[in-house]
Amino acid sequence: MKKYIYIPLVVFIAVAALFGNCKKTDLRETTTQDPNILDYLQKDSLQRFTKLLAVIEKTGYSSAMNTYGTYTLFAPTDEAIIIYLKKLNVASIDQLKDSDLKAIIQFHLLEDVVQTSEFTDGKLPSVTMLGQFLITGVVNEGGVSSYRINRQANVAQPNVLTGNGIVHVIDNVLTPSVYTVAKLVEQSSAYSVFTEALKETGYYDSLNSVKNTDGTQRWFTLLAETDQALSDAGFASYAALKKKYCNTGDPKNPADSLHLYVAYHILPDVKYLADIVMASSHETKVPLEVITDKLIDGKKVLINDDEYTTLTGPVHEIGAELDQANSDVSATNGVVHRALSHLAIKVRKPFPVYWDLCSTVSELTRLSSIYRKKTYLFDYGDGATLKDIKWEKSCLKYRNGVTGYLGDYWQVGMGTSSSNTDGLGQCAGNSWIEFTTPMLVKGKYKVWFCYFQQNGDKVINVQGSFDSIPLTSALIQFHQKIASVTDTAGMEALGWKWWAGASKRAGTTASRMLGIIDVKATGRHKIRFNLISGTNSDCNFDMIHFIPVDENQTGRRFNPDGSIEVTPH
Amino acid sequence: MKMRYRLLHTISFFSLMLLVSCTKRLDQKPSDGIIREDYWKTKEQVRAAVIGCYGSLLGDPTNSTAALPELLFLWGELRADMLAPSLGTTASQYEIMNVNTTSSNPIINWRPVYRTINYCNTVIDFAPGVLTNDKTFTQEALNAYVAEAKTIRALLYFYLARSFGDVPLKLSATSSDADITDIAKSSRQEVLNQVIADLNSAEPNAPLTYGNVASDKGRITRFTVNTILADVYLWMEKYAEAIAACDKVINSKRFGLIGSSSAWFNTLYRTGNSNEGIFELQFDAQKLNTFYGMFALSSKQFVAANRVMDMVYTTDEVNGLKDIRSDGASVRATDGLIWKYVGKNSQDLIAQSDSYTHWFVYRYADVLLMKAEALAQLSRGQEALDIVNVIRKRADALEGSNTHPDPANVTEVSRFILEERAREFMFEGKRWYDVLRYVKRNNYAQIDFLLDMVTGTVPANTIRATQTKMKDHNSHYFPIFEYELQTNKQLVQNPFYK
Repeated sequence: MKKYIYIPLVVFIAVAALFGNCKKTDLRETTTQDPNILDYLQKDSLQRFTKLLAVIEKTGYSSAMNTYGTYTLFAPTDEAIIIYLKKLNVASIDQLKDSDLKAIIQFHLLEDVVQTSEFTDGKLPSVTMLGQFLITGVVNEGGVSSYRINRQANVAQPNVLTGNGIVHVIDNVLTPSVYTVAKLVEQSSAYSVFTEALKETGYYDSLNSVKNTDGTQRWFTLLAETDQALSDAGFASYAALKKKYCNTGDPKNPADSLHLYVAYHILPDVKYLADIVMASSHETKVPLEVITDKLIDGKKVLINDDEYTTLTGPVHEIGAELDQANSDVSATNGVVHRALSHLAIKVRKPFPVYWDLCSTVSELTRLSSIYRKKTYLFDYGDGATLKDIKWEKSCLKYRNGVTGYLGDYWQVGMGTSSSNTDGLGQCAGNSWIEFTTPMLVKGKYKVWFCYFQQNGDKVINVQGSFDSIPLTSALIQFHQKIASVTDTAGMEALGWKWWAGASKRAGTTASRMLGIIDVKATGRHKIRFNLISGTNSDCNFDMIHFIPVDENQTGRRFNPDGSIEVTPH
Repeated sequence: MKMRYRLLHTISFFSLMLLVSCTKRLDQKPSDGIIREDYWKTKEQVRAAVIGCYGSLLGDPTNSTAALPELLFLWGELRADMLAPSLGTTASQYEIMNVNTTSSNPIINWRPVYRTINYCNTVIDFAPGVLTNDKTFTQEALNAYVAEAKTIRALLYFYLARSFGDVPLKLSATSSDADITDIAKSSRQEVLNQVIADLNSAEPNAPLTYGNVASDKGRITRFTVNTILADVYLWMEKYAEAIAACDKVINSKRFGLIGSSSAWFNTLYRTGNSNEGIFELQFDAQKLNTFYGMFALSSKQFVAANRVMDMVYTTDEVNGLKDIRSDGASVRATDGLIWKYVGKNSQDLIAQSDSYTHWFVYRYADVLLMKAEALAQLSRGQEALDIVNVIRKRADALEGSNTHPDPANVTEVSRFILEERAREFMFEGKRWYDVLRYVKRNNYAQIDFLLDMVTGTVPANTIRATQTKMKDHNSHYFPIFEYELQTNKQLVQNPFYK
């Protein structure tokens, strides 16, 4: 009988084991349960990757793809590899050299996880293991859009997450470029004149090498001009081009204009169109010369298409368009773009920039109820309230109805909070404020700071700096009236001038020469004002004049109603 | 011996109990709730269930997913051209703004919409049974409640069809585990047909008024039904039907536009339930909306894009005139703060604890502009422009935003109406649907408008890729959230997101 006592116990335990966890749901939370890239390829339910696996096996990449890491693999399907072999007239992968197979795998593999959301119109953010960049884009075929890699393959299945990286299944094998930038240009019949110029100036050889002398990878971007573009500009042949530009007779001479002309078309980095449009200017191989770029309506990329304002009116320099269909051509050492018109080095003479600090701020001028109508405090917000003005903290006061040019200026409390104008409240004291300048052409300028003097008893010293270089001729003393010297020339010699017109001229309308700057590259720069000592609640920032050193420094005066007076010198 | 048998029996008994409890045969009623068999007895319970449907529109009762108005804002504005990111913009919001939406993005989770649909289904399924229990409950009252539920359901399916394209059409209540079945997607045409059928059956039964303003604006009336019908017909390119539906609302003479005055913003938006409101989600001090954190705190998620002031409303520096809908209504021009839901008047912010400005599903201005849009498509351009000018005159619209379209040119007039809708319904969650309706009309005749629009909204280095994506019409609809795909095996992902 003793035995039977265990039977119900056993039944109890069995039942408990059976039903104790009757609520168990099995939910898959990942796109694939396979842990690593290799496993994913092997366990693919559609058996799409048998050939790719064979290549991986043959080239010894199996272990890498099955161990810890962060990879991106563009995985061609079996059909893709069959197409590729057919193109090469080869029956099977065994007939390909191991080194070629290795190059193929390396070109499909990145040591970084790159999802499709990071794809742009240009290159991927990281380079393939082969050392060439892959470019991406989107194509629309029959109403269906898909990602396109290197203009060679479409993504059939994107973003397969695995334990050691990400897989994008593609429908064609990617083939790396085998030509250098120099060879690409030489092979194209469209660039015969430009190729000759490259050879004559010696740039052909440097554009034809892949490695620097220290063994590192060499990258270039070349903006090549077509024969058509050159002949449109009056250069039917290389001889005509040489005749116009070659001033020393030796195109290899770095100071020769033809040499510089070619160097101006070379950017010392790999920049696809998508990279070019992300910055407003780019260095060239000509020391300190930059090209500027512009994207028009999201369609056209223009080089050196610039607009700026001088006192005589707005200027628009027509730029050269880059042909999108024939640009972004990858080479082993860079990328080639096609320029549709002649692109000569911009020779710009420096011209005076009379910069009103308020009227150039678009965030302000669009406020029709405020601009030139009332005083207003701009919130600090996230620090990016105004695109071209940064300040330390608290708000920034736009002061209207005062004796500044256009009747306004920025009124800043330096070292102490600003005054409470119109009961709007006070902004905390700032120790610095920084402005982005309008475009300045390369050259030397005197910098005149124009302010409206206030609070004569509040001694304050503020120093300006241009692109982080301090301006040392004078500090700005917002409490200081203009020196009581009567002759303009004498005052100019001491670094003072009036900025206001004859009827508004007073000791308070003072302008100080802060220093001479050497603008190295044409473009927009930063000018910053740091508090050195003292406090003043009403530091009035009105205008800054950048006047080329060899030009009349006191030729223009500015009135609150917006009129400008020309003074005889 | 006897002892042992007793022990044996006891153990056997308990193991039997274990079996039974596992299959839930021991029926017990919960002590802290009410079960269906005890509910659906009185007309008060029906009313409570219907009000519950409205309540769920304001926010998730379990607080586990986003509130519906927040979702409708994001669905209607993220892909359009009026928002700019700010400090608090999340990665999933960026993803949609940059046209990189993936199926793991929580913003595209349609669960809050289907939850309310299920509440409506429950009313539609169970309310008729109350007639037999509660003799004071009339057929007429029942019909009215069912009409409300059907209309809310139709409105939500209309949002789903416009946002996802093809979606599963669930028309019966999910009230027990046995009701959980995988259902496949229905085509957008089937969904829209169902929406029309629901609205048509609701229209004669929906009340004209509930006797108080808050209910007339916060619950479904016959005019709400007709307004939604007009919107659906417009989407389906059935213009004569759309005009007929609009006329029913216009000819009722119950609605009007709030005239321009210093109290305009407060009357129309902050206080709400104005003479212009047709259907507004009624946030109040007990139920706040989520917009203060999105728009007003320093960690705000969005600000208005520059083009809102520069190009959409424009400014008048010479005379200092302004469109009343611009600075101090839709946006605070000085810093782009989105003002509509967080302004007390045109100058002052509300406090965070007062964040209960309504969500405006439909206003009378919408009815007028929908009619204008339909008229334009029927080549009645001058009549359409006359209506648009009523709207513009009310708002003191600036000359700078008037493109003076040729009344005989259908495209010009439609484009003008589209831009006027942008001004009128700024940040009211309508812009993307307006753009898509304009673009897809006549077999995507205006796809170029969309391609131009994205040049201003995505980073410069992805413009070409984005434009090419947009040429695939499936990209205009959201992917299905991956959790739904995993749990409902019948669902097939939108091919663009394969």
